[in-house]
Amino acid sequence: MSDLRLDATQLDRYSRHVIMDEIGPEGQKRLLEGSVLVVGAGGLGSPAIQYLAAAGIGRLGIVDDDVVERSNLQRQIVHGDADVGRPKVESAADYVTALNPDVDVEPHETRLTTANVAGLVDDYDVVLDASDNFATRYLLNDHCVLTETPLSHGAIYRFEGQITTFANDRSSADGDGSDDGADSSGRSGNGDSEPNESPCYRCLFPEAPEPGTVPDCATTGVLGVLPGTVGCIQATEVVKYLLGKGELLEGRLLMYDAMEMSFETVEYRSNPACPVCGEDPEIESVEDVAYEGTCEISAD
Amino acid sequence: MSTEWKLFADLAEHAGDRHVTVEASAGDTVGDALEQLLDGRPELAERVLEDGELRSQVNVLRNGTNVLVEEDGLETELGDGDELALFPPVSGG
Repeated sequence: MSDLRLDATQLDRYSRHVIMDEIGPEGQKRLLEGSVLVVGAGGLGSPAIQYLAAAGIGRLGIVDDDVVERSNLQRQIVHGDADVGRPKVESAADYVTALNPDVDVEPHETRLTTANVAGLVDDYDVVLDASDNFATRYLLNDHCVLTETPLSHGAIYRFEGQITTFANDRSSADGDGSDDGADSSGRSGNGDSEPNESPCYRCLFPEAPEPGTVPDCATTGVLGVLPGTVGCIQATEVVKYLLGKGELLEGRLLMYDAMEMSFETVEYRSNPACPVCGEDPEIESVEDVAYEGTCEISAD
Repeated sequence: MSTEWKLFADLAEHAGDRHVTVEASAGDTVGDALEQLLDGRPELAERVLEDGELRSQVNVLRNGTNVLVEEDGLETELGDGDELALFPPVSGG
């Protein structure tokens, strides 16, 4: 893999990438050598999987323990009518294989748990959170912080979406925020950087809302095209990360409102009191947390 | 002058609207504006407050800046024409 060369078919397939200075053959090689784990093959995962596969991500893992239901098809466009009743990971893997034979797709038909998160996540360069529940989101956040794994976050509610990127790169936390160009994250470093400029989900939302407080898509409905927009933005972030190009949504939460057709960006910072990435973190292992309810730290 | 709140996700449903104008103005605090927003909206108050304190997962913005992190929290003074926002996490995928 280290001496990967683009063959004639690949030069043709990825020609619109290769022709751009920002990507070129080197950038395309990065994508072909890259690996991404998509957690959730639903509304967000569908467009993300499609575009990551089309982009030629070399290894694409997909985690989901659900089967396709007819009510999914209004938005989960990686699945078709004939897939109803099939495991989502199988249906999604078939789509990827048919779209792009360059991609090694790895379906994981399971639910993410504290017991399996390391085995699933640690084998990939980047994780894309396309899950549909707070327990998985907090578990992914905490594990990715502890292992310094970059994580793309996207979440939806009826007509609204939230997107941000956690680079989880704390190796230069003592520096002045300047990058030397070798950082594969492509972060350009803001002039006003402070130590630990890699905030996480718990910096924004230390704990999840009480169960039942925020209704889910099945209860409230969701605009079918909404996760298409949000999942595509997540895929964009992941591609940029692998290329080492552009400005990531790090320390910025993008809030998309489909009804008002507005995008607002809110900046946020590392919280020194953050329970997982703060100065004196209470969470040193995902075993410290009960990933249910508000995902707070276990009393014992 | 008055101050406008923008409410995200389920908070808008609890409030009955995505945009709510309150009378708080320059010289008042974000906390004053929040009190006026919650006054007469018990469902929203229950969703946003816990034992009288702001729930940890609800963020308050003033002109796009998180007052809980960047400013003086609910004691932050309002300026003319400030726009405030309340946003919670969402989990749908």
